[in-house]
Amino acid sequence: MPPTQLARALPRTSRTASSRGAEGFRQRCCYHSSQYSQPPPFAPAESAILSAAMSHVPNVGFTIDALKLGARDANYLDASTNLFPRGVFDLVNYHLVTQRLALKDTVQFPPEGENGKKLGIGSKIRTLALARLRANEPVIDKWQEALAIMAQPSFIPPSLAELARLADEIWYLAGDKSVDGSWYTKRASFSAIYSSTEVFMTQDKSKDFRETEQFLDARLADSMKLGSTFGALSAWTDYTAHSAVNVLRSKGVRI
Amino acid sequence: MPPRLQLGAHRGLSSTTYIIRLPVRRPQRRFASSSTDTPEIYDVVCVGGGPAGLSLLAGLKASAITSGLKVALIEGQDLQKSRLRKDASLDSFSNRCSSLTPASVKNLQEIGAWRHVHASRVQPYHEMQVWDGVSDARISFDWESARTPFTPRKPSQPTTIAYMIENLNTTTALLSRLEELGGVDIYSATKVESIELGTDTQQLDMTSWPVVSLSNGKSLAARLLVGADGANSPVRTFAGIPSRGFDYNRHGVVASLQLSGPGWGGLDHKIAYQRFLPTGPIAMLPLPGNMATLVWSTTPERAAILKSLSSDDFIAMVNAAFRLSPTDLEYLHTLSSGQKDEVAWRERHTPAQERAIPQRVSFVQPGTVASFPLRMRHADTYTGERVALVGDAAHTIHPLAGQGLNQGQGDAAALFRTISHAVSTGQDIGSTLALESYTADRYAENNAMLGVCDKLHRLYSVGSGPLVGLRSLGFRAVDAIGPLKGFFMGRAAGGS
Repeated sequence: MPPTQLARALPRTSRTASSRGAEGFRQRCCYHSSQYSQPPPFAPAESAILSAAMSHVPNVGFTIDALKLGARDANYLDASTNLFPRGVFDLVNYHLVTQRLALKDTVQFPPEGENGKKLGIGSKIRTLALARLRANEPVIDKWQEALAIMAQPSFIPPSLAELARLADEIWYLAGDKSVDGSWYTKRASFSAIYSSTEVFMTQDKSKDFRETEQFLDARLADSMKLGSTFGALSAWTDYTAHSAVNVLRSKGVRI
Repeated sequence: MPPRLQLGAHRGLSSTTYIIRLPVRRPQRRFASSSTDTPEIYDVVCVGGGPAGLSLLAGLKASAITSGLKVALIEGQDLQKSRLRKDASLDSFSNRCSSLTPASVKNLQEIGAWRHVHASRVQPYHEMQVWDGVSDARISFDWESARTPFTPRKPSQPTTIAYMIENLNTTTALLSRLEELGGVDIYSATKVESIELGTDTQQLDMTSWPVVSLSNGKSLAARLLVGADGANSPVRTFAGIPSRGFDYNRHGVVASLQLSGPGWGGLDHKIAYQRFLPTGPIAMLPLPGNMATLVWSTTPERAAILKSLSSDDFIAMVNAAFRLSPTDLEYLHTLSSGQKDEVAWRERHTPAQERAIPQRVSFVQPGTVASFPLRMRHADTYTGERVALVGDAAHTIHPLAGQGLNQGQGDAAALFRTISHAVSTGQDIGSTLALESYTADRYAENNAMLGVCDKLHRLYSVGSGPLVGLRSLGFRAVDAIGPLKGFFMGRAAGGS
């Protein structure tokens, strides 16, 4: 019964859509804890349509057709795609958000101290990044379309915000708890590495995306090298600045 | 103006009375210290019996102004055991050698220690060959070529660049001089248990005085506590002076070697060699006869490999390090043995000017191959309230210019001058005001030397690229311009 379905669905979705802004936001602002389950990022109706639409992406790509087919699969009218004012970007966004949130369940690190060897943060980052890239695998042929949609001027800010959230999530899951100045550089460098690898992956024809893995390793090695050079440089600068002050002090200047 | 005149006269008077009062006051203190657990009071307590500390004490005792000071020396090792034997053979040398600059030797002569040195075990050298391991750009240091064509050779001009001497020889000579002078309470083979500030008793307020507790149960209160106790100085820690710097991630491999001859210049014109490899400089420094000492800075992994080699393979590696290319050397370090044959084969295919590099090593003295980590450290200041630092306690340097021991000697001489001035003007020798001139005298100079060595190390760790061309150009330019070369040599010789 499509009409009743629509009547039943619409008020609820509109209510949840509006309440998501108020109630959901308030809840998220109060506190964040990894030990309590968070409210789902999408309302049930949206979720149903979008997840059904995602299964059509490999065939029809990130298009409005995929959304329509998804709506039909979920027993909604074609017109219910109007729930998504940003059109196909909402579909791309759904993929980004769900895959980001799936990371904490798909990647499990062994507890520390097992078989005597501790997994370094660097290798954890690598594992997480690879897991996230592999999540693009089902839609990799159409991923260039998604990249093009994300690059549309009005969608660039939300896309970058989502990238930042992904970088934050991965550093968090890797167990990096530092809150010094490197907080920014770590997230910035990971974002750069991840996005370039993602583009590389759309071109990768090798078996099991071996070349993408190599590409990622090379970029990570670059950033390690850069990081250690930067660290040595800052240690040297620190020493030189102190010694300049000390020389002046030794000559009786009161600094 | 009468008041000002009076003031001046008073000040003059007080300074002279202080000199007289110093010895007079001391017996009372000694009396106080002999009662149960009050510490014995000294004017100068020196922790550490290395070259810098011994040189300072010998200087203090040799001078008429400061010889009245009550002085103590604390050393963890047994000083008598580690002395150089009089009948030591000239065929075996300790692997810990240093090059003493003419300025340091002059200082040792002034305090009367140089005549106690085993002269037959000291080797002056007159020329130094330094070259770039990547580009082979070369510079030769000798006073003859550093002269300008327009200035005639001065008779007073030294011909010696520096003197190679075992550290053991230096400390033995200084100890002999101290014994000759007498008057130093030496606590040998005695460790420092703790350093704390004194307490306020009814007779004396010692709250600003450092009190050193020794492992033999004694405690000494110091008017001035001198830290000559090495890189991990407990005195520096007590004074709360931070020390900054970095580890180079390099080890210095040392060994005593025998060469196939006395050197290309014969016994009277000895030559030191240094080749800058991307892993660090390797230096072959002459000792008497056919002997030489090696200092090879390299990565810790390579140092471990070198130490594990058989003596034949080690000799081959040292010969190769002066002759083969950095690429060949990299490969040779991947082998666990058999370097001897590999080097022999490679040398046939590498052209080398034999007379421009050290003579071949024929023998390595067993048990002398050792290594130590290279680091750079500089304390924020050399003085605190009743504390002064000298030598490695104040600064640790990369050994590529052989300046570590000389800096320590310079420190000792400068601190001696400061103490001497304080005594003769009637100041408290431990006050920060009196010690200020010591830091002012030495800090900038040591800092410059540390900086130059640090930058040279960084410049030559680059193995390829445009920097190699630039540094080679600089090398050749300095080599061609005599006066510029003379300036550098003068600085390295101790600013003479």
